[in-house]
Parts: sequence; C-alpha cells; structure tokens
Amino acid sequence: MSEPYIVLDGLRKEYGRTVALDGLSMSILRGRIFGFLGANGAGKTTCIRLLCGLTRPTAGRAWIGGRDVWHDRLQVRLQFGYVAQKFSLYPDLSVLENLRFFGGACRLAPGDITKRADTLLDLMGLCAKRDAVASSLSGGMKQLLAMACALVHNPPLLFLDEPTSGLDPMNRQQIWNLLYDLANSGTTIFVTTHYMDEADRCTEVGFLHKGRLLAKESPKNLKGMFREPLLELEVDPVMPALACLRRETGVLDAVLRGGRVRLYSEHSADLLAGWRRHWPYPDLHWTGHRWADADMEDVFLACSHGHDQLLTRTPP
Amino acid sequence: MNIRSGFRGIACVARKEFLHIWRDKRIMVLILVLPPFFTFLFGHAFETNTPQGVPAILQDRDQSAASKRFVSGIAADQSFAWSFPSATPPCDENLVRQNVQAILVIPQGWENGMRNGRPMPLQLVVDGSDTTTAVALEGIIKQDLGDFQSATLDHLLKEPPPDMAQAGASLPVSVREEFTSAITPWAVNSRILYNPHRRFIDYVMPGVIGLILQMLTVTLTACTITRERETGTLYQLMVTSLRRWEIVIGKVLPYLAVSLVLIALTVAVAGLHFGVRFQRPLVLALICLLFLMSSLGMGLLISSFSETQTQAIQFAVFYLLPVLPLSGAFAPLGQLPANIRPVSNLFSLTHFCHAFRLINLNGAPFSYIVNDLLLLALGVVLTCGGAALLLRRTQQ
Repeated sequence: MSEPYIVLDGLRKEYGRTVALDGLSMSILRGRIFGFLGANGAGKTTCIRLLCGLTRPTAGRAWIGGRDVWHDRLQVRLQFGYVAQKFSLYPDLSVLENLRFFGGACRLAPGDITKRADTLLDLMGLCAKRDAVASSLSGGMKQLLAMACALVHNPPLLFLDEPTSGLDPMNRQQIWNLLYDLANSGTTIFVTTHYMDEADRCTEVGFLHKGRLLAKESPKNLKGMFREPLLELEVDPVMPALACLRRETGVLDAVLRGGRVRLYSEHSADLLAGWRRHWPYPDLHWTGHRWADADMEDVFLACSHGHDQLLTRTPP
Repeated sequence: MNIRSGFRGIACVARKEFLHIWRDKRIMVLILVLPPFFTFLFGHAFETNTPQGVPAILQDRDQSAASKRFVSGIAADQSFAWSFPSATPPCDENLVRQNVQAILVIPQGWENGMRNGRPMPLQLVVDGSDTTTAVALEGIIKQDLGDFQSATLDHLLKEPPPDMAQAGASLPVSVREEFTSAITPWAVNSRILYNPHRRFIDYVMPGVIGLILQMLTVTLTACTITRERETGTLYQLMVTSLRRWEIVIGKVLPYLAVSLVLIALTVAVAGLHFGVRFQRPLVLALICLLFLMSSLGMGLLISSFSETQTQAIQFAVFYLLPVLPLSGAFAPLGQLPANIRPVSNLFSLTHFCHAFRLINLNGAPFSYIVNDLLLLALGVVLTCGGAALLLRRTQQ
C-alpha cells in the first residue's frame, strides 16, 4: 500500500474578503498522476502556490514528503519541480545554460549538473539543441526543456500547470509518455489541466469549484457517478435544436457532441417518451437518438454547474 | 543549508545575470562606450566655470585715446567675442535682436569726464535671463575697468604733472603717507590650498564620474527583477530553493564587476585626458565600491517593486532627476538654501562627492570621511535589504 506523499488538511487562503481556497483537505499517494480540474478562478493556482510555499495559508496546513510546505519551504522546494503553463525559462540562455542554472539553483554540484543534464537532454530528445538559445526552440521543445529544468534535481514530485496548453497532439503525447515513465519510476505528478482527455489519463482527478473540492476519484469512478447514460438526439438543423432543447422543461443543459445534442436531465427517459408521442418542433427534423456514457467533460460540467441531481453521489 | 550551498546559489544567479549582460550586445556597447565618452564630453563641458566667448557688442562712442586704450585691453579678454560697431548711430539695446548677451557702450566725452573730474559711467546692458552669466559678465567688466583705472593711476603716480609734484612736496609727511596709502591698491595676501591652480575640472570630476556611474547602474539594475517578472521567470526562480538574499546578491555581483570596469575606464579618461590626479587610490576605491553598491541596491529596490520595465525606468528617472541639482556634484552644496540642504543627504552621490573631494582634493584624514562611508554602507543595507523584503512580498 502506497503512502500519501502530499497531504492537505483544511487548507484555506483568503485574499482580503475573497476566499480563494476554502478548507481543502485531501491526500495524494506517491507515484500517482493527480489531475487537478476546475474552472478559471476555482483556486487551482492558489493551491499550487500554497503547496510551493510561495504564499502562507490563512488556515490549515499542508505537507509534502512529511514536511510542512510553509515552515520548511526551502527544504520542500528541493522535493519538487515546477513546470509553468507559460514558457518561463531564460530565452537568451542556451538549453544547457538553462539546465545548469536550475541545477545550481537546486544546489547540485557542478559535476552532478553535467551528468544530470546529459541524461535529461537524452530523455527529452534535446541533445542536438543543447547549445541552441531557448528562444529558438519550437513550442513543444520549449515545454520539454521546461520539464528537463524541473527534473534536473531528480525530484520525487512534479507540479505541472497546464503543461500541454497550445501544443500539437504529437507533443502532447510525448509529454504524457514522459509523465507515465516518471510516475512508473515513483515520481508523483500533480497536474492542472483544462483538457478533459488529459484528465482521463490521470490516475486520480480532483474537481475544484469556488475553492472547494467537489470530488476526488479515479476517472472511471468519476464517470460512474452519473445516475444514468446521457440522451443524445440527432436533429437537423442542429444549432436551432440546441437552442430549443436548452429551454425545454426538465433539461438542465444541452451541449453538442459529434453533431448530436447531448442532454443533461434527470428525466431523460420521460422526455424521450414524450417526444416520441409528440415532437413539439415542426421546423426541426428529429432523425434518431442514442444513449451515451458520461465522459470527463460531463462530470466537469455537472460538478461546475452544480447539477448534483445527475450524480449518484453528491460532492462533499 | 550550509555556507557552501549559499555560495553555490549566489554563483549560479550571478553567472546567469552575467550571461544576460554578455548576450545583450547593445547593453555591452552602452556599458563600454558611453561612460568614457560621457566623461570626455562632460569633462570638457565643465572644464572651466568662467564664461568663454560670450557674444557681445562694444561701441566706442568716445573714440578718444583713453577709450581706445580701454578697448584694446578689454578686447583681449577671452570671456567675450566682441563685435565693434561704428561710433554712430547709438546702438540698439535689444539683446535678442542683436543676438548678443551684453552691450557695452563707452559714452561720448568719457575721456573728458575723467580729465575734468566728472567721470562718466560706462553703459552696460546684460542679459539677466541667464543669471549666472549675467553676474559673471558684470564682474568681468568691472574688473577690466578697475584694471584700466589702476593702470591710469600708476601712470599718474609715476609721471605726475609738475604742479601736482610741487603741491605734493609742500604737504606734511603724514598727509603724504596717508594719501599714498589711500591711492595704493590694498592687497590681500592669499594662498590657495588644495586646488592651487583653481582647476574646476579637478573639483567637478568626482561629480561627473559619480553621475555617469549612478545613471548607468540604477537604470541597468532597475530592469533586472522586473524583466523576470514580465517574462514569468521570477515565479520559476521563486519555486527553487534559492533564498531571497542569494537572489539579490547574485544579481548585484555581475553588475558590480561591470561597474568596476566602468570606473577604471572613466578614471583613465579623467587622468590621461584631463590630467586629474587621484590621491590615495585605496581609499578612493573603497568610496567607489560603497557608492556603486548603494546605486546597484537602489536599482534593485526600484526593480523589486515595479511591475513592468517601463515603470522601472520611469521610477529610476524620477530618482535620478533630483540627484543632479541637489547632490553637489557640479556646484557646492553651500549654494543650496539651508532648508533644502538636508534633502541632499538622502542621495548617495552627495556622500560620494563629499568623501571623494575630501580625500582627493583636500588630503583629509580617513576619519573625516567615516560618516560618509557609514551613510553609504547604510544605503547598501537599506536598498539591498529592501529589495529582498519586497521580493518576499512578490512571493506572497
């Protein structure tokens, strides 16, 4: 049984009258890939800042590897690497110079930095670019370099803030393969993302909404929280249909998925039966329907919009 | 974390900062070329503090032997670039229209006035909008006139008219002695110490060097942390285990090294080109070191609370603006009103110039500059410490 590597206990952060994080308690096991989901302003960045020891919690505590993230922040920072969403390395320094700098900042001896840099450049496929200035790299390479810099001191924990934002599918896949390898070797990964397919790749996902943790489960369990499959209608033309169905009584929300209108309703079967008897939209041509399993985006929307009635278990 | 790891942290930040400077070729040119060039330029600008070649008109309306003698004497004065219109018509006194700063008119009947006991005054019109030059010009004219009058008197005493000699001989000795004392120019036996040749360049050079260094160091360092904040690397820096003081010292060190090169360049220009002599170089080096560190600290302090590089440059300019007139770099602090003078103590350039001049010009003992050194050191602590504290606020 793996032990918790990150522990949060009633972690709260207030900025003036604004509560950015409202008593967050959770733990993350060593070697897991934890995906942190939430709308903009949900408190994800505040949580990472607290865990990185950049800001003092208003209440509560958090520990990484058994050390208090605020009181022992300098020691704690040696235990993690951080990859920002925006490219945050030095564009006028070469790939190797960036690595050397962050190695030095993590107190590595010069000889160790050289060895580690060689290993990481090889791992990231950046050997040919070792003397190129960072600004000349492509978006994907920059992100790989950022990961290499975050891993230069071989930390047991890696924070990634939307690491694949703006990257093409090939680069995204490359980065996720690296994350899998790292997790497999025991590194704990803490990743925030807006991509639901990426959340699906995590071993565990936490949903944050207005500073509160709504759910923390494996993606499979989260998707299983839906009471029943979701009704999808094939209607032509689809855009007016979407607008009409959103206003339909008993429909909480409707979205487009693969050219179909997916409905969020706790009475989907009743609605379908009623429409079979009488389709109230003569201008819209209803050609068929199907039942779809909920995916991570459905879970995200249900949690974010407070559609608790769609779920078997209400968030805490 | 031990001292060794602290040095390692400082060294990695310092190396990175040095690479930033080295890679930016425009900054390198700015650093290596401008300071000696400005020293050369400012040095010549402040080489002398007396007016030179001021455009002026001298109209001799008397056209007498005496007036011609006076004109030939005053024409040799390098303070003016005279033009000499004809004796008539009367000169237009509009200085702007005439494109001159002074008009001196010798009135008709000037020589006769001197002979018949009713000397006529010279007519001088001076441009008062330039207060410094106006006062200087008036003084120079009065000095020239005084010299002319003394020469006339000397001539009179050496070759007195026979009647005057006879009348003088009939006077009692005591009256004659009193008369001789009265007409002999009374002298001051003065000795000029510290700057016997009264070279203004020797006085002003610390101000020139200090101002150039302060402008460059403050503006260069003012952008260091803000640049990191703008590019997002400050956040990345903060999540490393580097301590704030390691970041601050690591950022100051490369600029300090570069600034020492700048001092060497400016001192070389001052010494080799302007012949300024530097006494007790070790003490001067200590003054320079503390001054540079306080300037770099000020730049870093500005950088740590500015949100953008533009804002940092603006703050740097606002700081440097009052330094120019209030630091005593180019004019003695005694010229400032008493209630303004305490403000000048807030600027490191004031203490740099004061200490530098005491050592270099006055040959003062070390104890005389201890207060200045302590204040400069206090500036280093306050600015660097303030920058480190503000970095903490950035974290929060």
